[in-house]
Amino acid sequence: MHILEAVKIHKSYGTKFNKQEVLKGVDIRIQQGEFVSIMGASGSGKTTLLNVLSSIDKISNGTIKIEGKEISSMKEKQLAEFRKHHLGFIFQEYNLLDTLTVKENILLPLSITKTPKKEAEQKFTTLAKELGIYELKDKYPNEISGGQKQRTSAARAFIHEPSIIFADEPTGALDSKSASDLLNKLSELNQTRKATIIMVTHDPVAASYCSRVIFIKDGQIYTQLNKGEETRQTFFHDIMRTQGVLGGVQHEHQ
Amino acid sequence: MNINELIFRNLKKNLKNYYLYVFALIFSAALYFAFVTLQYDPSMDQTKGSIKGAAAIRTASILLVAIVSIFLLYANSIFIKRRSKEIGLFQLIGMTKSKIFRILSMENFILYFGSLMVGIFLGFSVSKLIIMILFKITGVEAIATLQFSVQALIQTLVVFGVIYCFIMLMNYAFIKRQTILSLFRTISMTEGKVKKVSFLEMFIGITGLILIIIGYYLSSKLFEGDFTTMNELFLVMTIILASVIIGTYLLYKGSVRFILNIIRKQKNGYLNINEVLSLSSIMFRMKSNALLLTIITVVSALAIGLLSLSYISYYSAEKMAENYVPNDFSFANQKDAVQFKEALQANKMKFSEKIVDVIQVDVNIKQILETGLEGMNFDPNVMTLPVISDQDVKDIDLSATEVLFSGFSDLLQKFMSLKDSGPIELKGQHEIIPQNYIGLNKDTIVSTYFTNGGLPTAIVDKTVYKRLKHDINPDIQKESTIYIGIDMKDSATIEKANEIFQKMKFSDNRENDSRLETSNNQKQNMGLIMFIVGFLGLTFLITSGCILYFKQMDESEDEKPNYTILRKLGFTEGDLLKGIQAKQIFNFGIPLVIGLFHSYFAVQSGWFLFGSEVWTPMIIVMVLYTALYSIFGILSVFYYKKVIKDAL
Repeated sequence: MHILEAVKIHKSYGTKFNKQEVLKGVDIRIQQGEFVSIMGASGSGKTTLLNVLSSIDKISNGTIKIEGKEISSMKEKQLAEFRKHHLGFIFQEYNLLDTLTVKENILLPLSITKTPKKEAEQKFTTLAKELGIYELKDKYPNEISGGQKQRTSAARAFIHEPSIIFADEPTGALDSKSASDLLNKLSELNQTRKATIIMVTHDPVAASYCSRVIFIKDGQIYTQLNKGEETRQTFFHDIMRTQGVLGGVQHEHQ
Repeated sequence: MNINELIFRNLKKNLKNYYLYVFALIFSAALYFAFVTLQYDPSMDQTKGSIKGAAAIRTASILLVAIVSIFLLYANSIFIKRRSKEIGLFQLIGMTKSKIFRILSMENFILYFGSLMVGIFLGFSVSKLIIMILFKITGVEAIATLQFSVQALIQTLVVFGVIYCFIMLMNYAFIKRQTILSLFRTISMTEGKVKKVSFLEMFIGITGLILIIIGYYLSSKLFEGDFTTMNELFLVMTIILASVIIGTYLLYKGSVRFILNIIRKQKNGYLNINEVLSLSSIMFRMKSNALLLTIITVVSALAIGLLSLSYISYYSAEKMAENYVPNDFSFANQKDAVQFKEALQANKMKFSEKIVDVIQVDVNIKQILETGLEGMNFDPNVMTLPVISDQDVKDIDLSATEVLFSGFSDLLQKFMSLKDSGPIELKGQHEIIPQNYIGLNKDTIVSTYFTNGGLPTAIVDKTVYKRLKHDINPDIQKESTIYIGIDMKDSATIEKANEIFQKMKFSDNRENDSRLETSNNQKQNMGLIMFIVGFLGLTFLITSGCILYFKQMDESEDEKPNYTILRKLGFTEGDLLKGIQAKQIFNFGIPLVIGLFHSYFAVQSGWFLFGSEVWTPMIIVMVLYTALYSIFGILSVFYYKKVIKDAL
C-alpha cells in the first residue's frame, strides 16, 4: 500500500510575469515503512518538495494523497488537524521551543491530541531512553548540544506515532559523530516502529542509511536508487557515483 | 553609496518599520509641550492664583519628565534591539563601531527632532483645547487665547535634548556590546528555570508581600494624626512608596515565579498549548517581566490613584454643596427669604418652598460610636446637633422613642463612624430624654448653618420635639430656628436665580447660601489640582498601556519562530491565539489588579483632603481605567494575531 502518493505536482513562485517554476511535475510514491531520501543540489527544489509533501506549503498543480486522503485540496484548518495526527517533523535548525524543557518539547504533539497523561509519560520514557536523552529531560534547549537537540527533535517527531516523518537536512548542522548517531537511531526507529521516514539531504553518507534514494534535478525526478540487499558501504558508493553524474556543481551559485 | 545617503535610506526604511518609536516621541513631545505651554501662559495666572498652583504645576511637570523619559528610553531600547542585525552587518563590511554610532546618532537625530517638531506643533494645537477644558472645570472666566510661548519651546527642547543625550548614551553602550557573531547567531538565554521549589524564592515572595502590607498599614495611619510634623509626614510617605514599590517587585520576582514553578512542576512536562504560550513564555522572560510588571503596576497605581482623587474632588464639589445647602437656596433669615421670594416672583420664576423648624440640642452619642474620638475636638457625651420633628420630613414617621440621623458624608463616616443602632440621650435644659437611635440617612435636610459644619441632623417624633422645645438650652441655640429652603421648579432658571441671589448680597450673610455658588466655589478651589492630577493620570494611563503594548510587540517578534514551529506541528491559528489570550490576561491583568489594590489604599489614606465622597467616584474611575487599559490588552492580542498569521 502506498502511504504517500504524489502525482504531477507543480510548484511555482512569483507573479504571472516573473514566474519561477520550482517543481515541474514530480511523481512520488512511498510505501509504508520506507526510509526514503531525497537528494539534489542546492536549488534543485528538494526542500520545496518536502514542504509541499508535508502540507506546509501549497502546490500549484497536481495531487498529493497521504493514506488515501487528498491533502492538496484541504483547507488550512483541516491541514493543521491532519498534521497533528499524521505527520512528524525534524528540521535542520532543530526547531525546538526555547521556552520549554526537553521533556515539554517532546510531549508537545501528545498534548494536541489530548493523550492521557499516563500514556504520554510512558511513551516519553521509552522513546527518550531509546534515543538516549532521558537524563536531559529537564534541561532547556540552549543547555544541550546540537546532537542532543536533534535527537530531542526526532523524539518529538516520533512520539505520537505519525504515519510519516519528514526530515529536512536533519544532520546538516551536526558533527559527523552526532550525525551517524542520529541516523542510526532513525533507522532503528524505522525498523522497530515501522515508521515511514522521508528525508531531504545533500549528504551521501546520510542518504546511504535509507532504503531508497530519489534524486531531483531542476524540479524533476532525475533517477532513483534502491538499496536492496547491498551493504551500506556499496550503496554509499552508488550514491556517490550518481551524484557525480548529476553534477551539482554548476547549480551551486543558485 | 556614501554615508549620508546611507543614513537617509535607513531613515526612510525605519520610519515605516518603527512607527512605534516615532509615535512614542510625538506623543510625549505633544504632551509635554502642551503642559509647559499652559505653565507659561499668562491667562493661567488667574487660576494659579486661586491656590498655590504654580508649585503644583511645577511638581507635575517634573513627574511628567520622569514618565516621559522612562517611556522614551524603553521605546528606544526596543528600537535599537531590532536593529542589532543591521549593526552586525555594518561591522561585517568593515565599519568601526564609532562610525556606526555616528550613523545611528545622525539618523536618530533627524528622526528624534523631526518627531519632536511634529509633537510640539500638535501639542500647541492641543493645549488650546486643554486650556478651554481647564477654564470650564475651574469656572474661571477667561477667553482661551493662547500664544505660542517661546519659553515653553525652549524648556521642551532642553528637556528632550537631555533625554536625547541619554538615549545616545544607551545606544553607545549597546553598540559597544554588539559583536559580529550576534548577526549570525541569536543567543537565547532563559531567564527562569524549572527548579526545585526553593526556599529563597518563597522567602523573597513573602518578604515582598510583607513589605506591601507594611506600606498599606502605614498609609492607613498616614493622616490619622500619628504623624504631625511635615518632615514626619514626608518621611512616612517616602517609606510607604519605597516599601510598596520594592514589595511589588519582590512579589513578582519571588512569588509569581514560585507559583508558576509549582504549577509547571505538577504538569510534569505535559503542557497544553495554552500553557506553552502563557506559562512557559512568561517564566522564560521572568527577569525582565518582573521589572516591567513592577513599573506598570506602580504607574497604573499612580494613575488610578491620581484620577480617583481628581474625580473625588470634582464629584464631591456638588455633593458637598448638596450637603451644605440641601436646597437650591437656603435661608435662616426670614426677612431675606421674603425679599428673595419677591424678587423671584417679580422675575416670573417658579419655585417651591420648604420650612423646617430647627433647634439645637446636646446629644450623648457615646454608646453608638464605633470608635473613640481621640484627637478630635468633640466630646461624645455632649455633641450639639440640630434636631427637627418628623412632621417636617416627608415619608418619615417615628415612634416616640426613635431617633433617626440624617445628612452624613463619607468624610464624617471616616472620622465618626456610628453603629447601626443603640441608645442615645437628648439633653434638654433640665431633663434628659433617653432615645433609641435607629439609623442613618444620607440626605441632608437643613443647611450647614444649623449643622455646625456637616454634622448629622437628628429627626425625632413630634411629641419628643415638643418636649425638647419647651426645655430648650438657650446657650447653644442659633439666632434663627427656622430653616427655609427654596427650590427652583425649572432647573434652567437656577443660574439666573443665583445671579439675583448674588446681586441682593444675601451671600454676605452666613445664614444664607446658594448651592450653585457653593459648588462653583468648591470647583474653583479644587479645579487646578483636579486638572493637573487628572492630566497626569491620563498620561500615566496612556504610557503604561503603551509600554506594555510595546513589550508585547517585542515579545511577539521574539517568539515568532516558536509560532512557526507550533503551526508546523499542527496547532491552528485559533489554538495559538487562545494561548496568547491567556498570556495577555496574565500580563495585563496582574499589574492591573495589584495596581488597583495599591491605588485603593493610596486613595483611602488621603481622599478626605480632596473631597467628601469616596466610594462612588473611586469605583467609577477604577471601572473606567480598567476599560481603557483593557483596550491596550486587546490591541496587543490583535498584534499577536497578525504575527501568528504571518508565522507559517
